[in-house]
Amino acid sequence: MTTAMHGSQVEETDASGAALRDTASGSQTYLPAASARRRRSRRESSQVGSQVFLMLLTIAFLAPVAWAVVSAFKPAVEIIRDPLGFDPSQFTVDNFVAMFGDVPLASGFLNTAVVLVLKGAITMFFAPLAGYAFAKYDFPGKNVLFGTVLLTLMLPTIVLIIPLLLEMKEFGWVNTYQALILPGAIDAFAIFWMRQVISAVPDELLDAARVDGCGEFGIFWRIVVPVIRPGLAGLAVLTVMNIYNDFVWPVVVTTSDTMQTLQVVLSTLAQNISGNTIGADYATITGELLAASSVALVPLLIIFIVLQKHFINGILAGSVKG
Amino acid sequence: MTASTVLETRVPPTRAPRRRRLTWAALRRRLAPYVFILPFIAIFALFSVYPMIFTLRLSFTDWRGTGAATWVGLDNYAYLLTNQAFWSSLGNSAVMWLLIVPAQLVIGLLAAVLLNNAKLKMRGFYRTAFIVPFVTPLVAIAQIWIVVFDQNYGPVNDLLGALGLPGIGWLTTSEWAKPTLALLFLWKTTGFAIIILLSGLQSIDASLYEAAELDGASRRRQLWSITVPLVRRTLMFLVVLQTLAVFQMFAEPYVVTKGGPYSSTTTAGLYLYNHITRADLGTGAANSFLLVILVMALSLLFVRLLRAKD
Repeated sequence: MTTAMHGSQVEETDASGAALRDTASGSQTYLPAASARRRRSRRESSQVGSQVFLMLLTIAFLAPVAWAVVSAFKPAVEIIRDPLGFDPSQFTVDNFVAMFGDVPLASGFLNTAVVLVLKGAITMFFAPLAGYAFAKYDFPGKNVLFGTVLLTLMLPTIVLIIPLLLEMKEFGWVNTYQALILPGAIDAFAIFWMRQVISAVPDELLDAARVDGCGEFGIFWRIVVPVIRPGLAGLAVLTVMNIYNDFVWPVVVTTSDTMQTLQVVLSTLAQNISGNTIGADYATITGELLAASSVALVPLLIIFIVLQKHFINGILAGSVKG
Repeated sequence: MTASTVLETRVPPTRAPRRRRLTWAALRRRLAPYVFILPFIAIFALFSVYPMIFTLRLSFTDWRGTGAATWVGLDNYAYLLTNQAFWSSLGNSAVMWLLIVPAQLVIGLLAAVLLNNAKLKMRGFYRTAFIVPFVTPLVAIAQIWIVVFDQNYGPVNDLLGALGLPGIGWLTTSEWAKPTLALLFLWKTTGFAIIILLSGLQSIDASLYEAAELDGASRRRQLWSITVPLVRRTLMFLVVLQTLAVFQMFAEPYVVTKGGPYSSTTTAGLYLYNHITRADLGTGAANSFLLVILVMALSLLFVRLLRAKD
């Protein structure tokens, strides 16, 4: 399995780092042999306990997704007749075909892709730049400005929705890419996080570059950016995820089918379902629902599996320490 | 890391000569941070500050989205604070909080402690598996929840039936709808909590455990006396983050239950949204501000609690 393969890569990288912290090997040498043996057997039994707990957790975490993807390939009627069974001979892509006819999935994907690329590029460029300014410069108004960044972190998106929507109407931006891209294009969390990451870059490095005649932006671009690459990779994955999954704002600001993002298109399927809860209709819609959800899962899962090492290490590098 | 290797090769020279050729470079250096922050400030001013001021003004008016707004003073606030539906939306969010946050801290910490053991087999696999829910789109998961917990045709009740147990109206009864949505939230975000906690654990000095082990402290004792106090900051960070998220929770109830049955899953976020659909914008704006005040008060409270123990 692909995930397992990547998983072992991660294991290698942190085994070297974590080996130092392992308490077991160090303490044993000081203990009498019998006690050491007892300890070892206790540790082995706790290893079994750990494995059981973690395995159960894994099943709980993966089962809903696995069930949905497998069921998407079952005949619609079978999904509700025998939810837990799977008969390979009945394998079908009918649900996927039906779903394309029912909801504007293709345009949903296209809109999401456009927003993802443009909004992502803005965030990935300007958030580290602002984080750099907050981490490495002293200037009048810095505390007030950073305070506002933290404030935006706490501000529920939903609070701004009413006036933002009115603003979009005023601009004539309802059902446009600008409306989907610009508000929230520079995420406060991204700035906060980049500041954390860039704070760890030594000042001497920047001073040296400055003495060598490097301009202020040049320092950011040529010194800071290459050094914080792991943090940037983490930010990239988080940004892609946030934009791809964004729901509240797109659902409000897009009213026409052609401008809706994938998540909004998906949610309309659920609305269909509440009207038809009996019999064959229910089965058909359920099949489409699972097919659509499976399709929506795939791009992000691929991105995650490819980048997961950077992602996990990026979070580990940038998050608050205990 | 790369930083240290570059450092070794570049020794910072003395600073004396820089002072003489000041002007241009110094001015540019002084202006640089403002230029770097400008794009954020512009977007922030246009799409956050302005709307916020607008919301504040709107909250003192009665406005249906068209025509002129009438000034009503504090009426909207008074209406909300005496309105049972408003309080029950906060109550629903509070119950969700209680169902989600403690469970997440316990499961998250336990899993993180186990994953922090370098000798554990398959730890890379577990880390990947746990983060999968976090990277799956919420709306897709919400859809899956609708099907999985369907009272008549869902696999969960099918499983219960196979065990000879009666099916449960997971999303159709007011007692079960809240826990079922809480489970969705828990499922979605616990993997992220595990990773964050793992990063906290990795900063703990291993010699503390070695000393404890020599003193004969049990595993459980080590967890309570070493691990928990030392990751307290990380735990608090998570609590603040999840408090913000739970009180803003919108997409889950919007997609899965529409706030029902009998408003049992109308969270604070969804209740606020409902003002928009009813075109009751003045009340919605007032509701926004009450929610902001509440969320900030809760965040400050947690931060205070964190500081008090330091």
